[in-house]
Amino acid sequence: MAKLKVTNLKKSFGSLEVLKDLNLEVKEGEVLCLIGPSGSGKSTFLRCMNQLEAVTAGHVIIDGQDLTSTETNINQVRQNIGMVFQHFNLFPHLTVAKNITLSPIEIKGENKEQANQNALRLLEIVGLKEKADVFPSSLSGGQKQRVAIARALAMQPNIMLFDEPTSALDPEMVGDVLAVMKKLAKDGMTMIVVTHEMGFAREVADRVIFMDGGYIVEEGSPEQIFDHPTQQRTKDFLDKVL
Amino acid sequence: MKKQALTKLSFIFALLSLAFILNACSQKKETTGTSDDRKYIIATDTTFAPFEFEDTNGEFVGIDMDLLNAIAEDQGFTFEIKPLGFNAAVQALESNQVDGVIAGMSITDERKEKFDFSDAYFDSGVVMAVSEKEKNISSYADLKGKNVAIKTGTEGATFANSIKDKYGFTTTTFDDSSNMYEEVKSGNAVATFEDYPVIAYGINQGNGLKLATEKEAGGQYGFAVNQGENEALIKMFNEGLQHLKDSGQYQEIVDKYLATPESKASETGFIGLIKENYKKLLDGLGKTLLITLVSILLAAIIGILFGLLSVAPNRGLKVIATLYVDLMRGLPLIVLAFFIYFGIPSLTGIRLSATIAGITTLSLNAGAYIAEIVRGGINAVDNGQLEAARSLGLPYGKAMQKVILPQAIRMMIPSFINQFVITLKDTSILSVIGLVELTQTGKIIIARNLQSFDMWLIIGLIYIIVITILTKISKQLERRIQNG
Repeated sequence: MAKLKVTNLKKSFGSLEVLKDLNLEVKEGEVLCLIGPSGSGKSTFLRCMNQLEAVTAGHVIIDGQDLTSTETNINQVRQNIGMVFQHFNLFPHLTVAKNITLSPIEIKGENKEQANQNALRLLEIVGLKEKADVFPSSLSGGQKQRVAIARALAMQPNIMLFDEPTSALDPEMVGDVLAVMKKLAKDGMTMIVVTHEMGFAREVADRVIFMDGGYIVEEGSPEQIFDHPTQQRTKDFLDKVL
Repeated sequence: MKKQALTKLSFIFALLSLAFILNACSQKKETTGTSDDRKYIIATDTTFAPFEFEDTNGEFVGIDMDLLNAIAEDQGFTFEIKPLGFNAAVQALESNQVDGVIAGMSITDERKEKFDFSDAYFDSGVVMAVSEKEKNISSYADLKGKNVAIKTGTEGATFANSIKDKYGFTTTTFDDSSNMYEEVKSGNAVATFEDYPVIAYGINQGNGLKLATEKEAGGQYGFAVNQGENEALIKMFNEGLQHLKDSGQYQEIVDKYLATPESKASETGFIGLIKENYKKLLDGLGKTLLITLVSILLAAIIGILFGLLSVAPNRGLKVIATLYVDLMRGLPLIVLAFFIYFGIPSLTGIRLSATIAGITTLSLNAGAYIAEIVRGGINAVDNGQLEAARSLGLPYGKAMQKVILPQAIRMMIPSFINQFVITLKDTSILSVIGLVELTQTGKIIIARNLQSFDMWLIIGLIYIIVITILTKISKQLERRIQNG
């Protein structure tokens, strides 16, 4: 069974239709990269997958649960879907450790001790154990993004959504973040990544999807998409970015 | 029609329920007097010497007061005096907030349509007064093309208006005597028309004016109750008055204020005024601070509630918040105060003390501004914060509480402090409903000693000092919160 399934998804902002009848299936443990020019709808598509954007039509089904149904407890479902944002969105009034422990303590009812232990373990994975007690404002962009990944992981999600996680970073910071993401992929996390890092997509993705104008134009293995694209629009795009 | 009345009622009901909560905690000091049938509430002016004013000991004295005391003693009833200011007293009577008004009120046909008057207790007459230094104005004809100061509702005003076309002068209207005298002294108006006893007393107190004409044949002052209400009170007043006249006590009272003028006000100079009045000024300041604090606390509750509604995802809640804010921001504070203090009792029959009405007014008003501050603060938090919180599975309420509000509040603090200062200053507006806070205290003192320049300087300084101190404390507090 597919881990995540999208059927006939449409999304409009007012009269502007940005997603036009999208269908997608993602298998457990699969790493999917969404590429395409800006304005093609990839970020919106990603945000529909945890209902940060309400869909206009169609269904998003995760583990057999339809997120677009009014009977679904969306707060419950979101606990299983981690999300990492382009601009990190760390909580500036909380220390790094408290950023990570907020949800586990507030929703899962973990006790402070346990949540803290877990936070330290996650910080170790992303290489920032010594930053547990500082505030986000004293971190570099790359460090902030790694904390954001740790924060998402603290809820023990089984899908991770990444919305251009390295776009706002200085070039020398990108590597650290991608390294963490690779580690996650290797450990079998189901990941959907909107990215401009073609190198990362080629190396880590199981499947690459090229979107343009609100449609999925072409999809396939990294080799297929990057080396033998069949659509003209894909070729034009790759010519520009590679 | 009926529907309109219903919505009106429900609005009032909402206000009242707030008022009741307040009543419960701070009512004790205010006496409504409903428990004792024979305790009448009589409204009067605050500044109408020699009929009513506060003497140096803080006692409310004057011809009206002494007469009323003597009549009450003679007839065996008790009463409580509410110095509201003339206009407010008349409105309070109309709305049944009080049982009667004694305020050097002339008996006119127009007023008789609304009120029942006692027998006249004083024969008045209008006289023209000019500045001491004035040499060119000695008759009505000299007023051509000039401006004249009058006080609302007085016989002097009626008289001035009746001859102003004939003699070609204009009028400027004031609410209390001391302001009117200042207008003449400063030269903005060349003369004033005022009831003889009032101006005679003022001149004797050194208000800087002199009489310019002989007294016109005058009208009569009467004690007023609402038409058809309190017949018994009027009857007692008339009988008592007759007894006093017969016994000569009446003449004694009048002579005390008019025939043997008091020596000039003892309090002069800045320091002297403070020494003489510091106790009363502190009382007034205390009331100002108390009302400010209670109001700002309630306003914070109202403001946070409506502020949260205004950013809620639900459109209906947003509309409610917008309506509230628009309504309260659109109403001038003074109108709201009058509506709550006079309007609600006349519609519902429930009397509100000035303190409760004042606190209700300020809370509703400041609440709207705080709602806007809260809305602005929340909107100033990056939308990504809410998205991040929601993506972690936090429900909307929890996300607001743990992520958005802690950040928003830091941004709101400077505006909160600002609103606090504004509310403190706005308490001065409540003097219109007779609340004796700092400004009203100043008015009362000036009514007695007519030292308006020095007194307003003192009052102004007190406001500045207190607000500066409070602002400094708030800033200190703000720094502590900002630093975690």
